[in-house]
Amino acid sequence: MMLAPLIFIQFLLIVVAIIALLKTEQTNGPKAMWAVIIIFIGFIGPVLFFILGRRQY
Amino acid sequence: MQWITILKKELLEDWRNFKWIWVPLVFIIICIMDPLSTYYLPQILESVGGMPEGAVIEAPKMGPPEAIMLSLQEVSMLGLLVIVAISMAVIAGERKSGVAELVLVKPVSYFTYISAKWAAKLLLVFIAYLIGMLISWYYVNLLFGDLSVAQFTGLFLFYFIWLIFVVSLTIFYNTVVKIPGLVLTLTIVTIMAMSAINQIFSYRMPWFPNSISEHISGMLAEGTIPNELWGASAVTLGLSILLMVASNFILKTKEMAD
Repeated sequence: MMLAPLIFIQFLLIVVAIIALLKTEQTNGPKAMWAVIIIFIGFIGPVLFFILGRRQY
Repeated sequence: MQWITILKKELLEDWRNFKWIWVPLVFIIICIMDPLSTYYLPQILESVGGMPEGAVIEAPKMGPPEAIMLSLQEVSMLGLLVIVAISMAVIAGERKSGVAELVLVKPVSYFTYISAKWAAKLLLVFIAYLIGMLISWYYVNLLFGDLSVAQFTGLFLFYFIWLIFVVSLTIFYNTVVKIPGLVLTLTIVTIMAMSAINQIFSYRMPWFPNSISEHISGMLAEGTIPNELWGASAVTLGLSILLMVASNFILKTKEMAD
């Protein structure tokens, strides 16, 4: 099936986001909440986490 | 050289923020999502079920140019949002946290500081956009038919000029305000206002930056590069340069931190 790569890339994005979540010391809001967002909201979830979740500033 | 040092620092920061991993991944998804789902629409509807008995679903017949324009449309919505979001804090965030002060207290000119950051973000956007569009091109060739190298290169490079403008606009607002969220809002509002102006006056101003994607689909249909596309590209590049010069002056007049 040709859609396999798309699903694989989404999965990869979730994995990277989870690794980033575990490595980040402080997140904006509880980590468990971000884990739920990353895993359940399609590819928008990881993007939201990368943009808003990590306290960098 | 100072410029290279700041560029390297910026690239390293983006690497540690995982930007070099997630931005290309997101661009791949954005670029291939629409062509793939359009092609597989009948199968997807069939597997979801709930269709009345005997309903025949025809896949919309599309040529390769229309298919690759689907990718470009997604880039112009979601892609744009991602680009603005990753660059909304390049200078604003550093001004807020005081890092900008630490850098600029050294003999680093404002222009070096701004342009190195601009180049770093543009490099990231370019690579992500390149990977996403290349994969989209591969799928379009496979599913919809041949799209020549010349057509793809033209589409890719001309649209990148619009992306250069978006990055420059974000950098410009970075120097005007120092709240990253506000930078995002102002940039998006500006782009939306420009697109409204473009829709109203498009027949009078064929060279307006927002009309680049229109001219690109014209180019794909006709096979030659229309003069309006050259004009719009020149205006867009000119505006980008103007924005960079303006940000240089604005940053000079602003106090760094509260």
